[in-house]
Amino acid sequence: MAVIEVENLRYRYPRQERLALDGITFTVEPGEFIGVIGPNLAGKSTLCQALVGLVPHFYKGAIGGQVRVAGLDVHRSTVAEVSRRAGLVFQNPFTQISGAKLTVYEEVAFGLEHAGVPREEMRRRIDEALRLLGLEAVKDQSPFALSGGQMQRLAIASVLAMEPEVLILDEPTSQLDPAGTEEVFEAVTALCRRGMAVVMAEHKVDRLAEHADRILVLHQGRQIAYGPPRQVFARENVAALGVAVPAVTQAAKALGWVLEDGTYPVTLAEAVAVGQARRGGR
Amino acid sequence: MRLSLYVPGDTWVHRLDPMTKLLMTVVGIGLTFLLPSLQGGTLLLVLLLAVLGSAGVLHRAAAVYVGVAIVAGTFLVVQGLVYPGNAVPALTLGPIVFYREGLLVGLRLALRLYNILSATLILVLVTHPSDLVEAVVRRGASPRLGYVIMAVLQVIPTMMATASTIMDAQRSRGLETEGSLWVRLKAFVPVMGPLVTGSLIATEERALALEVRGFSGEGRPTFLKEEVIPPYATAARLVTVAALAAGIAGRWLLGW
Amino acid sequence: MMSERQPIIQARDVHFHYTPGRPVLKGITLDLGPGATAIVGQNGAGKSTFVRLLNGLLKPVEGQVLVAGVDTRQMTVAQLARTVGLVFQNPSDQLFKSRVLDEVMFGPLNLGFSAQEARERAEAALAELGLEGLEARNPYDLGLAERKLVTVASVLAMGTPVIILDEPTIAQDQVGVRQLGAIVDRLARAGRTVITITHDMEFVARHFQRVLVFQDGRVLADDTAEAIFAQPELLAAAGLQAPPITRLGQALGLPATVLTVEAFVEAVRAGEG
Ligand SMILES: Nc1ncnc2c1ncn2[C@@H]1O[C@H](COP(=O)(O)OP(=O)(O)OP(=O)(O)O)[C@@H](O)[C@H]1O
Ligand SMILES: [Mg+2]
Repeated sequence: MAVIEVENLRYRYPRQERLALDGITFTVEPGEFIGVIGPNLAGKSTLCQALVGLVPHFYKGAIGGQVRVAGLDVHRSTVAEVSRRAGLVFQNPFTQISGAKLTVYEEVAFGLEHAGVPREEMRRRIDEALRLLGLEAVKDQSPFALSGGQMQRLAIASVLAMEPEVLILDEPTSQLDPAGTEEVFEAVTALCRRGMAVVMAEHKVDRLAEHADRILVLHQGRQIAYGPPRQVFARENVAALGVAVPAVTQAAKALGWVLEDGTYPVTLAEAVAVGQARRGGR
Repeated sequence: MRLSLYVPGDTWVHRLDPMTKLLMTVVGIGLTFLLPSLQGGTLLLVLLLAVLGSAGVLHRAAAVYVGVAIVAGTFLVVQGLVYPGNAVPALTLGPIVFYREGLLVGLRLALRLYNILSATLILVLVTHPSDLVEAVVRRGASPRLGYVIMAVLQVIPTMMATASTIMDAQRSRGLETEGSLWVRLKAFVPVMGPLVTGSLIATEERALALEVRGFSGEGRPTFLKEEVIPPYATAARLVTVAALAAGIAGRWLLGW
Repeated sequence: MMSERQPIIQARDVHFHYTPGRPVLKGITLDLGPGATAIVGQNGAGKSTFVRLLNGLLKPVEGQVLVAGVDTRQMTVAQLARTVGLVFQNPSDQLFKSRVLDEVMFGPLNLGFSAQEARERAEAALAELGLEGLEARNPYDLGLAERKLVTVASVLAMGTPVIILDEPTIAQDQVGVRQLGAIVDRLARAGRTVITITHDMEFVARHFQRVLVFQDGRVLADDTAEAIFAQPELLAAAGLQAPPITRLGQALGLPATVLTVEAFVEAVRAGEG
């Protein structure tokens, strides 16, 4: 049973002419990791917000089509109801701090307290989230005395600790160092194995190529492609529209390096394998 | 960015649970009105200052007192000049005459102002707002109400933080904000507009983020921290209530 | 006054902390001058703190920062702004006007340019960042990516000899990253001092001559991009990784360190040819 079902979603912000989302249709099964890519203004953030109901409940505007998340009809449920099943990490980490808590540790507890999670369970989840995001060293610091990257880690940890059925992340690694980025992708992949469904908007296509099960490509509000990374990044129209393609794929295309099944490599490991075969067989 | 006026510390007042401190504040304000006399007001002020002093926050309180001194001074001047019962001149400055009766009225008013302020500061300076709100929610208040209180308590600190952020942005782009008082005042004017907008936006964005983080205000929350009520809290509450009783008795039975 | 050869920014054994007992910078000594310098390193390493010391918003607890030969402690931030322009990491910390054009004109006006000149500079800067048409919009209504570009434009318009960009590529798509790269290249060619903090290693590889690796409040390495990316152990110690194309080149045993896709393709063809 799909845990996210989006059907012909169309949306226009108030006082705007152009549709921000136009005919988006896709489904996600539990345990799947979906990457959403596309240039700025393609509608990535709008889509993320539509999945928890901020679009249209908060931003208003005109909406059409169907969005079902964790069994709820998002357009007919409140944001609060949807948020109990689906977590969203916003693009801007600086505005996600509750301001009600004194330390990083307590900040992660904020959502858990309101969800009525028992104290022992709460501590277990906070410890795990802090460990996954590498925040143990700053756990007693004030949430406002953090570097940008630390704050972004905190924003992710706070939502991860809620253990939602569906996790939506809007460019969660934009301010993370490369090791931190890798940690987030690995944490997310591990959670998928436990059955969580993940939708992540990202510009780091090489990481997505490595970890995501499927890629959704948006361009000016339209859905250009939806499929496994290797299939999507091979498509000519994707690169032509200014959508980023992994560097190793670009190189392989330029050199005509293809895998046995005729597609281009999208991960470093695949590219190394093809490259070695090519250069070794010379 | 600091989100409250709270002064961290580890004194007996800090360790006291928020409800006891709330009681002290309410009783302090109540007594201010119960004891309008100069003697009663002074005694109360001494008591309140003793509490603030033992909490180690007098320096912060002093800043507030100085800020309010203008208002207190106005009471003295206005009442000293125009109080209807003025009869005995106390001070003559050229053509201006201050009268004893009026000055005393002004002094009582000023005292009352400082008493209310001091009682409130016990809560504001020594209790972290989130602890107070948490204590109230533990006792059955709705989390939604708790959030509203929290948001209101944060208005001023949020504005202070926003103001310093904006000034940093402005001086980084060449607007002089350091130096004489005049320069600083002049620099503050262009901050006002963005300050209001910036604070509103910050508040709205935070509300949005909290909503998505599962803060719906429905259902009973649990708490990360166990509530710690020190053994002496009962004594502190008894003393506070006794002070109130003494005030009432004094006022109506003894005619203070 | 400063002589021709003196580096425009000199850090001398700079120490800094926000809270006593929690050192953030632990003795940084380096010179910065014309050309493009990237600062990379782990989250919390002290990069943003360091650049706030360069424009005077923070003052060293110990040691000195000299800008054009003068100790930053002897100048106000506004005076330093004539020499050093800083784009903050968080755009919300920087934007305060309700119109994009006013925001970008603010700096030039403070530096003493006439309204006409300030407007021309602002428009040129907005055009260079592909923001034409947004002049009348409220920065708060823009998305994070555009907001970040507005902050870059508002510092670019000031024309300072030193330009510091704190994570300019946050939220940018391919087009945005290319535009920013072109700006870095142009400024560096014009002999300006461009200092950029970033976590985007492909951006570093493509546009920066000098790379400073920060770790835990110290400078772990200071070298060319090629030299830095040729040292996987050094990178791993600082939580970094060379760009994927560089790693592909290393895995395939290419003789030189390649930093871009084009260089990789060329190196492979040369090997085959
Ligand atoms: N306002 C502040 N008060 C106290 N500590 C702070 C403050 N800002 C940052 N810190 C601490 O100082 C250290 C360095 O922070 P800084 O912002 O300079 O890091 P950074 O290298 O820019 O990291 P990032 O890559 O995440 O932006 C961090 O450990 C952080 O927690
Ligand atoms: Mg930083």
